[in-house]
Amino acid sequence: MSGLVLDGVSAAYRGTTVLHEVDLTVERGELLVVLGPSGAGKSTVLRVVAGLEPVTTGRVHIAGRDVTDQRPGLRNVSMVFQSYALFPHLSVVENIAFGMEVRDIPRRQARERARAAAETVGCAGLLDRRPGQLSGGERQRVALARALVREPDVFLLDEPLSNLDLALRVEMRTELRALHDRIGATMVHVTHDQTEALVLADRIAVLRDGRVEQVGTPDQIWRTPASTFVARFVGSPAMNLLPADGALRPNGAAPELPDEPLEIGFRPEAVTLDAADGAPATVERVEVIGEDAYAYLTVAAGQPVVARVPAARRPDKGATVRVGVRWADTHLFHAASGRRYAP
Amino acid sequence: MKPRSLLALALCAALGLTGCGSGSGSGSSDSSPVKLLVFGAPEELGAYRTLIEAYQDARPGERVQLIEASDRKDLLARLATSVAGGAPPDVFLMNYRFYGQFAAKGVVEPLDERIAASSALDPADYYPVAMEAFKWEGAQLCLPQNVSSLAVYYNRTLFTKYGVPEPKAGWTWNDLVGTATLMTRDDRGLVIKGTEAEGAARLPAVHGLGVEPSIIRLAPLVWSNGGEIVDDPDKPTRLALDSPAAREALRNLVDLRLAYGVVPTDAEVEAEDDESRFLNGRLAMLMTSRRATTNFRTITGFEWDVAPMPVYRQPVGVLHSDAYCMTRGSKNKDAAWRFMEYAMAEEGQRIIAATGRTVPSHIGVSRSPAFLDPNQPPRNSQVFLDAIPTVRALPTVSTWPEIEDLSYGILENAMHRGDKLDDVVRELDTKSRPMFARGENG
Amino acid sequence: MSARSGPGLRAPQPRTEDGPASARSGPAAPQPRPKIRTVSGPDTRSRRQLVLMLAPYLVGLVGLVLVPAVVTLALAFTEYDLLRPPAWAGLDNFTALVDDPIFRVALLNSVVFALVAVPLRVLLALGLALLLHRRAVGTGTARTAALLPTAVPEIAYGLLWLWLFNPLYGPINQLLRIGGEQGLTVLGRTPPQWLTDPTSARAGIILMSLFTMGETFVVLLAARRALPRDVYEMAAIEDATGWDVFRRVTLPLMAPVLALLAVRDAIASLHFTFVPAFVVTDGGPPPYATTYLSLFVYQTGFEYLRYGYAAAATLVMMLLTVAAVLVQWRLIRRYRRLYTF
Repeated sequence: MSGLVLDGVSAAYRGTTVLHEVDLTVERGELLVVLGPSGAGKSTVLRVVAGLEPVTTGRVHIAGRDVTDQRPGLRNVSMVFQSYALFPHLSVVENIAFGMEVRDIPRRQARERARAAAETVGCAGLLDRRPGQLSGGERQRVALARALVREPDVFLLDEPLSNLDLALRVEMRTELRALHDRIGATMVHVTHDQTEALVLADRIAVLRDGRVEQVGTPDQIWRTPASTFVARFVGSPAMNLLPADGALRPNGAAPELPDEPLEIGFRPEAVTLDAADGAPATVERVEVIGEDAYAYLTVAAGQPVVARVPAARRPDKGATVRVGVRWADTHLFHAASGRRYAP
Repeated sequence: MKPRSLLALALCAALGLTGCGSGSGSGSSDSSPVKLLVFGAPEELGAYRTLIEAYQDARPGERVQLIEASDRKDLLARLATSVAGGAPPDVFLMNYRFYGQFAAKGVVEPLDERIAASSALDPADYYPVAMEAFKWEGAQLCLPQNVSSLAVYYNRTLFTKYGVPEPKAGWTWNDLVGTATLMTRDDRGLVIKGTEAEGAARLPAVHGLGVEPSIIRLAPLVWSNGGEIVDDPDKPTRLALDSPAAREALRNLVDLRLAYGVVPTDAEVEAEDDESRFLNGRLAMLMTSRRATTNFRTITGFEWDVAPMPVYRQPVGVLHSDAYCMTRGSKNKDAAWRFMEYAMAEEGQRIIAATGRTVPSHIGVSRSPAFLDPNQPPRNSQVFLDAIPTVRALPTVSTWPEIEDLSYGILENAMHRGDKLDDVVRELDTKSRPMFARGENG
Repeated sequence: MSARSGPGLRAPQPRTEDGPASARSGPAAPQPRPKIRTVSGPDTRSRRQLVLMLAPYLVGLVGLVLVPAVVTLALAFTEYDLLRPPAWAGLDNFTALVDDPIFRVALLNSVVFALVAVPLRVLLALGLALLLHRRAVGTGTARTAALLPTAVPEIAYGLLWLWLFNPLYGPINQLLRIGGEQGLTVLGRTPPQWLTDPTSARAGIILMSLFTMGETFVVLLAARRALPRDVYEMAAIEDATGWDVFRRVTLPLMAPVLALLAVRDAIASLHFTFVPAFVVTDGGPPPYATTYLSLFVYQTGFEYLRYGYAAAATLVMMLLTVAAVLVQWRLIRRYRRLYTF
């Protein structure tokens, strides 16, 4: 039985459709990351699952129950908001226990469970403080503890890390993954950060304009992007995309190409700058990030290409290089639809 | 630079405002108009405008500016604050019951010298009782514009309809009660007793009598019965209604409501005051002063007239009189006096008399058709003149406004809530004492 | 004022997602810090500007409010009738006030009015604000309707109620008499005698004051709309009932605003009894059922020309206000210690 199923769910906001017949299945105990740019409808997916937004078509099932017409409180989900949504007038322990108190669980028992949840996420020392006295990371932990305490069927996390600074974000990312592995809960995590998605996810659902572009493991998303959109959205700098019949011809054994316009895509790390039969290109600028350097090139036909090279062997700005890439490292896409072409 | 000039501008504006406030009172006597402070209903104010216009036409170059207060209390407040502010009006019109506090405090200019020097005014032309009311410690402070007393207005048409004899001179209090009882009718025209017990079942459609439970209505009844309302009319120290004569008059007044139910209840009065009730033909008789006449002249639906007050032992009326007073702080006294002379002389009196609002204090005018015009109701205006020889003035003590307010509350509860008469008398006594004690007599 | 649930310095982003620029690069730029250091600070120029901007207000405040107030308070220790120069009276006015039954009644009336009307006004405003803070059909009209009585000039408002309260012909009692017989209500009782029965009259004045809570309503409406939406969504997910949400979320979050408004209303309550008592009941029904301090001061000062005495009563009224504010302020501070804004 699946932890969460979205079956052809559409949703609208003020007359504009923001989700178009989304099908998603999250297995029990799975951590699904919903990835996409802003405005793709990621948060709406969570809000539809939580019942904060109504669906216009389709059904939502949680742990085998059809909850489409149930109010949020009956769906047994918990949610971590981007802003954490802590109650400023309540102490940490009262915040964590809030859900139990309004459900009339005895106060002692609620406090006890709140304490336990706080220990799980490492904020047991903060129980008597108020949200205003906490740092961003501490608030995050409190919000997580509050989500954990009720043992819901599905955890919904709406960009919970986006308000943290980089170091803390990396740390929390790891902890979040560890937490998930420890409690084995069904989680849906929304983010626009592709690194976060790749690190955290069991599977990633890439969302674009309210439609699911691709669902797959981080490996599948990385190695076989289903479209130019996914290909360019995942990876930094983004994948190079050039017309297949352009100036750059990959070397090695060429696949069988159909008689229609295609685009070839390859990641910056697949590019070599000293290929004997490579296409000539000019170095426009070079960015050095530690051991690595990114060279931004323009090939003869005018298209831009990014290459990753070791910093020690980076070309000079203005130099002419010969760009080479192997067929094995390329992805092919239909130029018209942007969908992947599988030979 | 810019903010600084802005600040300067703001300061100038502030100074300008205060400058304006003090400047208005200090104009030269020739250029600024005489300021006349009055209050009254729209038709009364209209009469004053007519008077001013006539004056300005008759005396080119003279100017009078009318300052209108909304009611008596507003007039008192305006007068006091403008005196305190150093810019009082030149002339104001005030009832003798309320001028005491201004007279006692030296706000009013004595007029004896001006009267003696005047060729236009002869004190002998005016009713002495009114002139006397505005004397303070022997000095004539104000000039009475009118002299009135209470009368009983009645709806003749209703009397004819129900076949009840109209009130006539010399009638007694018992006649009044009997008539009022006969005139209290339900909507089918049947005589009804409008007391509380039965009143819930059927409410009177017409009440026999309207009279407000105030000391100025009660006073002439007490006097007529041979009593007094204060312990010493010359130097009063308390309201004293404990004499048998006073008690009887008071008892009879509240019984109009409590025993006979011929006057409307307090709720009915709040819903529709007596004057409107009379205007709307739902009050057979109304005990009030000449003031109501202007309003009642708008009546077209029925005929009405006035009758004298009922008598206990001897006929006594209560004086109602308003006078023109000049402020001591006036910057324009000569011009103000010229206006007062005009307003008090025959022509001015005639103009005001034409409104019907007042009984002229000028004896000649009051006996002329200007007042006794047979074509204008009430036909029996002579009633007011006949009452003048027997009218008495209320004490002029400077705290009289407070005493009147106090007594009104107590008497209203006596009539409408049925407070025990002993308590009423005692309350009037004890509560009025400190007020009299604070007051100054003329 | 809004009790945002986010962190203090690292201001929480509103619900919008980050822009595409930062979506591409892994490390997000640090959140911009809120700008606070623009107006205040050691900058003398901006301080001078501040003084200049405040100057017109200060001139008005000193000239039109403070100076007259101080003069009035000084007059409280004199015998002054507006007509003759004031004469020093020491504490005579105050000892006279203690013995003055009318003053005592007026004082009691004012205190009772404040104790009843202020909570009712704030509660009514809160109720309306909570009802009308959402977008829905007709809320705009309803909000305007709630505000409208406040916009009516006071005297006109008083005259309007004089008509509404008319015991026989007024719409209120006409309405109450529907279904009843012979001038009684359906329950067989006499409808309230608004203008002649002391208790009804006091209730009437309170009733009148209830509908002028427009300002309080607007402030509470704004305060409610400023509360973070996600906190309410959180509560919905936890299946909190409406009552729970009100008691555990809305009320505590709005408590500071409510308390401030109550203080403000308590101060104002001494004033807004004046016009109703002056226009509608004239201080009655007798003897002094609706004579409040404000009316007492007006009558003694301007009708009876006991200005010094009225000034003494005013001083008592101000001291009373200060006392009420202090008490409320202490309560608020005790409550506010629970928060860290």
